[in-house]
Amino acid sequence: ASPRPQTAYSFHRTYLTNLSLSAELLDDILREKPQEADGIDSVVVVDNVPQVGPERLEKLKNVIHKIFSKFGKITTEFYPEADGMTKGYIFLEYAAPTQALEAVKNADGYKLDKQHTFRVNLFTDFDKYMNICDEWEAPEKQPFKDFGNMRHWIEDPDCRDQYSVIYEAGERTAIFSNDAKEPIINEERARWTETYVRWSPKGTYLATFHQRGIALWGGEKFKQIQRFSHQGVSLIDFSPCERYVVTFSPLMDTKEDPQAIIIWDILTGQKKRGFHCESSAHWPIFKWSHDGKFFARMSTDTLSIYETPSMGLLDKKSLKINGIKDFSWSPGDNIIAFWVPEDKDIPARVTLMQMPSRQEIRVRNLFNVVDCKLHWQRNGDYLCVKVDRTPKGTQGVVTNFEIFRMREKQVPVDVVEMKESIIAFAWEPNGSKFAVLHGESPRINASFYHVKNNGKIELIKMFDKQQANSIFWSPQGQFMVLAGLRSMNGALAFVDTSDCTLMNIAEHYMASDVEWDPTGRYVVTSVSWWSHKVDNAYWLWTFQGRLLQKNNKDRFCQLLWRPRPPTLLSIDQIKMIKKDLKKYSKIFEQKDRLSQSKASKELVDKRRAMMEEYRNYREAALQNYQEQKNLRLELRGGVDTDELDSNVDDWEEETIEFFINEEIIPLGDL
Amino acid sequence: HKCFALVKDVKVFVSTEDNQPYLSIPCSEHKITSAVWGPLGEFVIAGHENGEINQFSAKSGDILKKIKEHTKQINDIQSSVDNTMFITASKDNTAKLFDSTSLDHIKTFRTERPVNSAAISPIMDHVVMGGGQEAMEVTTTSTRIGKFEARFFHAAYEEEFGRVKGHFGPINCVAFHPDGKSYSSGGEDGYVRIHYFDPQYFDFELEV
Repeated sequence: ASPRPQTAYSFHRTYLTNLSLSAELLDDILREKPQEADGIDSVVVVDNVPQVGPERLEKLKNVIHKIFSKFGKITTEFYPEADGMTKGYIFLEYAAPTQALEAVKNADGYKLDKQHTFRVNLFTDFDKYMNICDEWEAPEKQPFKDFGNMRHWIEDPDCRDQYSVIYEAGERTAIFSNDAKEPIINEERARWTETYVRWSPKGTYLATFHQRGIALWGGEKFKQIQRFSHQGVSLIDFSPCERYVVTFSPLMDTKEDPQAIIIWDILTGQKKRGFHCESSAHWPIFKWSHDGKFFARMSTDTLSIYETPSMGLLDKKSLKINGIKDFSWSPGDNIIAFWVPEDKDIPARVTLMQMPSRQEIRVRNLFNVVDCKLHWQRNGDYLCVKVDRTPKGTQGVVTNFEIFRMREKQVPVDVVEMKESIIAFAWEPNGSKFAVLHGESPRINASFYHVKNNGKIELIKMFDKQQANSIFWSPQGQFMVLAGLRSMNGALAFVDTSDCTLMNIAEHYMASDVEWDPTGRYVVTSVSWWSHKVDNAYWLWTFQGRLLQKNNKDRFCQLLWRPRPPTLLSIDQIKMIKKDLKKYSKIFEQKDRLSQSKASKELVDKRRAMMEEYRNYREAALQNYQEQKNLRLELRGGVDTDELDSNVDDWEEETIEFFINEEIIPLGDL
Repeated sequence: HKCFALVKDVKVFVSTEDNQPYLSIPCSEHKITSAVWGPLGEFVIAGHENGEINQFSAKSGDILKKIKEHTKQINDIQSSVDNTMFITASKDNTAKLFDSTSLDHIKTFRTERPVNSAAISPIMDHVVMGGGQEAMEVTTTSTRIGKFEARFFHAAYEEEFGRVKGHFGPINCVAFHPDGKSYSSGGEDGYVRIHYFDPQYFDFELEV
């Protein structure tokens, strides 16, 4: 579901909400209170400023001014020169020492461009450093901002996963713990976000959107961990390691100071680098390697790969790849896959490149290509390239799946030819199967393939005439849901792919979304207010397709499961637990039975109490009614109307016969 | 237009052929959308556009009691067979049971759609409700064949225990037969459906 667009009304509400943060604003302003001090304390020295001649000086001053006036009012600036060029360092004086401190804190390390990273210091620091005493004094301890246990939710003794719910058309956001009986509320806030929310990849942070930027929340009480100021932010992306967050705003960009995309360090809150961005149509623009070591983006004929934490280009230059159409990182290794279309007599190519060495691991030529899509299996074990081709001499488009076996020597490629147009494709997350929806409504088929070790790709099963347009695998593999969302009215099919059986067929009318919980035990189907204005609700199912709950929420918009961090258990430990599973399941079953019977007992007690209360009320009312009988008789001139048969004597009974049917039965010759 | 509750003395009307109401109670703010008589004809219970319920004296027209339990328009009010209590059906997706004399709120029955009509069974602790979207909103929603349902709730437990499908459009009106052995529903589709309960209906009990 897509978030609703900003309207004038919500903009206005934003303004009011910001005003209500006045407590924090006041704090900022109070700090700005002018104090008696040396003018010297308000001066900063900026080093690594570009050295320019007089013709570019004005422009340089504008850029510097724009960057540094963010921290306060610049009252004086001085650009020392030598031989007609600026020296490369400048002095800026602010209106108050606090502003100078802000400048040092935020602009030091700011990367203006490839060759110039600002070094900002207080003028007084030079003095200080020159007069450093020989004896070293330990630095003063900063008070530690303790946010508590950031992984608190994982310690839930009943292993309940959390999920966020946005409802009341975005006015309320709540966090629930998932229990099969009913959701347990953890936190609920009005206007927590202005559009939607996002969880970080390991579940540590909840990101909310505001006109001024984004905020990250976490810990047991969802306190605000960090705030990133990016006016008009509309999209974000996290690095897989949760160290960085990337924000995009269509408002901010200027030619000199790229601000459309900003990469932030989450722990320190610092802005690491800003980038230009022409169009946010294919977000995320920057794609991260699985370990967060690299991030890359594609532009015309170019692939730019950056490394962390320096945020600089790998090897200080981008890769020139003529005609590059698309790329993606392997989710398991630092390998990039990209493809280029045909160029005169050079066929289209898919290339696998190792990073950081840039070694080409595998190149695959493809002919008569119309389009390609890259689908990685979640562990990086396989890459599927969906190739749409127009074979020579034909007009139509056929599709092949080129399956790259990444774990085998020299990455062999197998081809699966598809006869029909493809609606959806999805790898089993940690396995070697994939599912395909193909054909055209109403004849849509679901096919399941297994990539076997012996070099073959086997079609395990095909279900025909499915009402499905989307595939949702369980994150643990094996189970999946085929769903017909939106225009297909919410048809659901729950499949066990170990033997390709249909476990259950069900329907959530007008469902717009399907979300698996991170453990693969539960599935949520939902009808979002963003796509359908009535019956907004989310339903909870077991992985087998048994409906557990229907949760109606006024103008429900979005449900997102909180991701789990990767397990801390070693493979051996997991093996041990699986071996002892019977022992554990006995204990859990007992626990479940206890809580079930407790729930039943509670329900029974509640019902008994309600019935008793109701009976008492009815008895009293009836007594009253009987006491009023005379009054009623009076009103009705002595006619008793209390019972249907109170006046049987007045009834007239009439018997009517009417013709229904005529049947002629020959009795044979008599 | 100003809104009025008109009380006509039926007896007088028949004998004098005078079309004038016996009592006219003006109601300026929120128009009256439904009304029933009190148990002894001493007051009229009226439901309003904003969810208010008022008891108007049938003699003077004064408001004897007023409550506001519903948050949106009251679509229908029906009394129990002995007039001791009444049920209101509201656009706020609920139906509520009240004591006719004291206007005490006794029970609430919740659904996810506006409730157009509700009725109290004369012989069982059951209520029936019918509803759906407002006619003009039914453009893309639930035009599935026969999927508009009458819903049965247990009056004491406030829990739904059954649904009857069949209408092609929202249900506008429900009523129990005075003997409690059947109920009827009328809908936007132009049909009136008469349902006789099977024996299981009378034996059905929620787990206690």
